[in-house]
Amino acid sequence: MDIIESKTWVEWLITIAKFAFCFVPVLYILLLIPMERRGAGFMQDRQGPNRSYIKIPYFGKIRLFGYVQNMCDGTKLFFKEMFAPAGVNKVLYYVAPAIPFAIVFLSPCVIPWFGPMVFEWGGKMVRIPGSIIDSDVGVLLLFGFSSLSAFGAVLAGWASKSKYSFLGALRTSSMTISYEVCLGLSMMGILLLAGSFNLTDIVTWQEHHVWGIVAQPVAFFCFLIASIAETGRAPFDVAEGEPELVAGYHTEYGAMQFGLFYMGEYSHICINSFLIATLFLGGYAVPFVTTETMQAHMGGSLAVLCGILAFLALAFLHMVHRYSKKLAATAQTHRFEVLREYKLYNIIAWAAVAVFVILGVCAWFFYNPSNMVVNGVAVGSLATALGTALIHLLVLVVKSVMFCWVWIWVRWTLPRFRYDHVMNLGWKIILNIALINLVVTAVIAKLVGGN
Amino acid sequence: MLALIYFIILAVIALGAATCVLLSRHPLYGALSLVVSMVSLAGIYGLLGSPFLGVVQVMVYAGAIMMLVTFVIMVLNGARDSRTPMFDKVSLFIIPAVLVLAALVGVALVRAPLGFDAATIRGSVAVTSETLFNVAQGGPGYFILFEVLGLLLLSAMVAAVLMAKKRLGSVDSENVEEKH
Repeated sequence: MDIIESKTWVEWLITIAKFAFCFVPVLYILLLIPMERRGAGFMQDRQGPNRSYIKIPYFGKIRLFGYVQNMCDGTKLFFKEMFAPAGVNKVLYYVAPAIPFAIVFLSPCVIPWFGPMVFEWGGKMVRIPGSIIDSDVGVLLLFGFSSLSAFGAVLAGWASKSKYSFLGALRTSSMTISYEVCLGLSMMGILLLAGSFNLTDIVTWQEHHVWGIVAQPVAFFCFLIASIAETGRAPFDVAEGEPELVAGYHTEYGAMQFGLFYMGEYSHICINSFLIATLFLGGYAVPFVTTETMQAHMGGSLAVLCGILAFLALAFLHMVHRYSKKLAATAQTHRFEVLREYKLYNIIAWAAVAVFVILGVCAWFFYNPSNMVVNGVAVGSLATALGTALIHLLVLVVKSVMFCWVWIWVRWTLPRFRYDHVMNLGWKIILNIALINLVVTAVIAKLVGGN
Repeated sequence: MLALIYFIILAVIALGAATCVLLSRHPLYGALSLVVSMVSLAGIYGLLGSPFLGVVQVMVYAGAIMMLVTFVIMVLNGARDSRTPMFDKVSLFIIPAVLVLAALVGVALVRAPLGFDAATIRGSVAVTSETLFNVAQGGPGYFILFEVLGLLLLSAMVAAVLMAKKRLGSVDSENVEEKH
């Protein structure tokens, strides 16, 4: 077969392994739900979930800072009975929750998770793009998918044959239409500057010039607002506002069908965070360091990475230390159990610090791969390329988690808008600002003499 | 070969969904079938080597416009229309017209030198923009036409808004509101 022989086995392995990135949004749900709960507790000055635990024989109870609550919720949703109320449209009722959740697996295909891997293998230069589909219509594909995912909510509302669901569906569809426009227009400025729809090209442009947030600050805020509105989260959750519509389009859903909507919403947040990080915050690019510099000093870069991870472990240790000091001072009956659990975390975190420090020192002193120069371009080995990809991926994850926090922060800070206010904001304010921003960008780009 | 298999699958889905648009009783089912048809059309565009057109098809037609159509169907409660007879006297003229049009398009497509090969780029972003707007290279381009179309759409929108406003403000509409 020609198509199989066109690549070496390493290329095939990496190309296929990249499909694992499809599951990143689903994995982010595991991160986002505890983050949302802890964040809500933090913002409202109350305790987050802290009652559920796993009992481990010969040790005691483990609470994992409330993470166990997720497992309880997941188990509950999975084992509840799936039912359909009388009078619903059976087919659409069962299909609807699957639409947003299925699209969640398609959307990550166009996001560049790391810079193009360029390495030398078998005497040839190999180049593997960082996204699963390296297409020159990247962003547009993502927008196409996300506009399709709104059909899930609309069909659910219609199939439920309930007034509240129906109103929720109407609101969802009108909001999707209005905010898709704002989203697309506010993004156009950065596309104009980078001169490409391809997300890898956009990140490369940002790496060599400035980050999108510096070049297009107005567009950044328009995009952020529009994408919060597009995920349908507070303060834009008019489609499922409890005081007006019970629960909006998923009023009639229970068990895992509701769970699918829920997971679809959180995955949508994850994808939009990755998109904002890629468009406006330099994506996988490490701040102030170009990929070439990083690859030339691979050992040093890995050492710095290990140092940062060790620092994070130390920060975790500090957090645990403060928690246990506070807890020991109280008279809570279960404090000794929790303190014993914290002792376990102490041991694990100190071990992690030691491992990271040792790894970092080893990388600094013993890992200095030499780069070949082919046609004036430095080409490293496979190990260098993998190390670069790892650093890029971690940087992108950090940036996106920051935006995930923005979502939670906004949700627990601002009250819900009224429906007509949402429409006014979309059509009369954000759309016009985005249009003016696009025109100004185009004029300046032409005057300065871009493409 | 592989492209041909893909094409046959997509074409069957597109045609089947298009038939469903005609045959479905409820307008919402018709709209949904149209979405399926449009998504598979986008796949065919991709097979023809124009991913840009395909993606725009998904984004604009399957996403935005069909969402608008669903919205209108749901607002106007189109279920009342489901008892309209499928064929009436007008169909006598429409069916031959559709058949003739299909035959014309079929002949044109068969004679056109099209190969299903996704590798040759026919409608990528760069190629599309160059054929449309590159005045220097390939004659006049479609630049003015494009702008005029934009103006036309804008005027249509303004006219629609004006008409809707006039009807909202008039006495008739208020009476109608009360009847509901």
